Amino acid sequence: MGEILRTTGDALILLFSGEAALWDIIAISFSVSLRAILVSAPLAILVAFVLTVGRFPGRRALISAFNSLMAVPAVVIGLTVYLMLSRSGPMGDLKLLFTQTAMIIGQILLAFPLLVAMSHAALQAAERDAWETAITLGAKPWQAMLTIMREVRFGLLAAVIAGFARIIAEVGCSMMVGGNILGVTRNIPTAIALETSKGEFVQGIALGMVLLFLALFLNFVLSFMQGKGELS
Amino acid sequence: MKGPVFCLEDVKMRIGGEPLLDIARFELPVGSCTILSGRNGAGKTTLLKIAAGLRKPDEATVKTSSGDFDWREARPMLRKHSVYMHQHAYMFDQSVSDNVAYGLRKAGVPAPERNEGVRIALEWAGLAELGARNARHLSGGERQRLALARARVLSPAVLLLDEPTTNMDQEARQQSFFLIRRLVSEGTGIVIASHDRAMIGQLGDHHLNLTDGKLREVDDGSRPAPARAADAILHSAGKAP
Repeated sequence: MGEILRTTGDALILLFSGEAALWDIIAISFSVSLRAILVSAPLAILVAFVLTVGRFPGRRALISAFNSLMAVPAVVIGLTVYLMLSRSGPMGDLKLLFTQTAMIIGQILLAFPLLVAMSHAALQAAERDAWETAITLGAKPWQAMLTIMREVRFGLLAAVIAGFARIIAEVGCSMMVGGNILGVTRNIPTAIALETSKGEFVQGIALGMVLLFLALFLNFVLSFMQGKGELS
Repeated sequence: MKGPVFCLEDVKMRIGGEPLLDIARFELPVGSCTILSGRNGAGKTTLLKIAAGLRKPDEATVKTSSGDFDWREARPMLRKHSVYMHQHAYMFDQSVSDNVAYGLRKAGVPAPERNEGVRIALEWAGLAELGARNARHLSGGERQRLALARARVLSPAVLLLDEPTTNMDQEARQQSFFLIRRLVSEGTGIVIASHDRAMIGQLGDHHLNLTDGKLREVDDGSRPAPARAADAILHSAGKAP
């Protein structure tokens, strides 16, 4: 017990001493996951919108598909992206394996179904009446879409936060396609896995605390947003 | 003259393989009030939404002063000249003023003119004091009046109201009746889907019944002549550019 406490204390000192290598890892984590969410969220919201308002054959099947895809394990996505990007794979010529771009691609794929499913749920809550009201009051379809997004802004924000929380804490995919290269593709989860396997717990615990704080904070914001969404 | 009168002809609509609407002619007159009755599920809402350009029918021709069009071609025109109001009017999660300003904003009306329009509309509906309040926090009757003001500010040729007085107390109903009558006297053509007897008696210039997909006129003492009035306007609209 004393050992764990001492290590935790060392981890705190490490965090607040501002050690460059540690903060590099944190910066890479945020940079990769933020870029992934910035690419995937607008596209996912658009897809969710089409699924909500559109009336076309196969719509329900698509909704179920996105809901099911949420269950695909991160390592499987990592494996798929690896196969695609590896030298002999169909996209091998792009030489993206073990780069941040590869990690971003993996995280986009990981977040996308979750973003679509949660955005769809949020948009669905707005009812068809909201869409029809906007249109009948003279909004063009794209204006009506922006209106609906504004109506369910808390739900959409919740979707984005949940998506971000999923990819920033994900280890399997990042490890496989990023390669855990220090200063390039080593992010918080892969660093924790590596340091722990080496028996170097101080850095692992320090990074774990950052991740834990982030997860708690995001979930707090998430439940706050959802509560707000219901009240309005 | 606020806009062309239009008329839907040969409206056909099937839902789940079952025929819902098979209407030879449905006129949307200016400056009169038509009550559309019919049991639940008869297709009243669907017909109003088709007329508002919100719901696509299997078939329909839209006759206007400038010619006959397929429903799809006429959709922008239907949307431009009519406003449809849901049974429980949807309020955007904004202030009362912003709700009224919504359509004007989308039409690109400049701010000073827009604010003036909103002010007049709120006064008209007796909601001047509530402009800053969130529209979702209004009572049922206030919401209904706000929805009427929100529509009126756009000066539509036709206003389509779906069961506007459901779950409303007597006072709120009378206030809505009053505003609807004012709209008619201002020249708006109104169609109300309703089975509210009082409404048919007090507001209807014209009473249509929708049964088994067919529309037929009911002569129950509601004031006649709207057809003649509409014809006259149709005639004058023909001369308008």
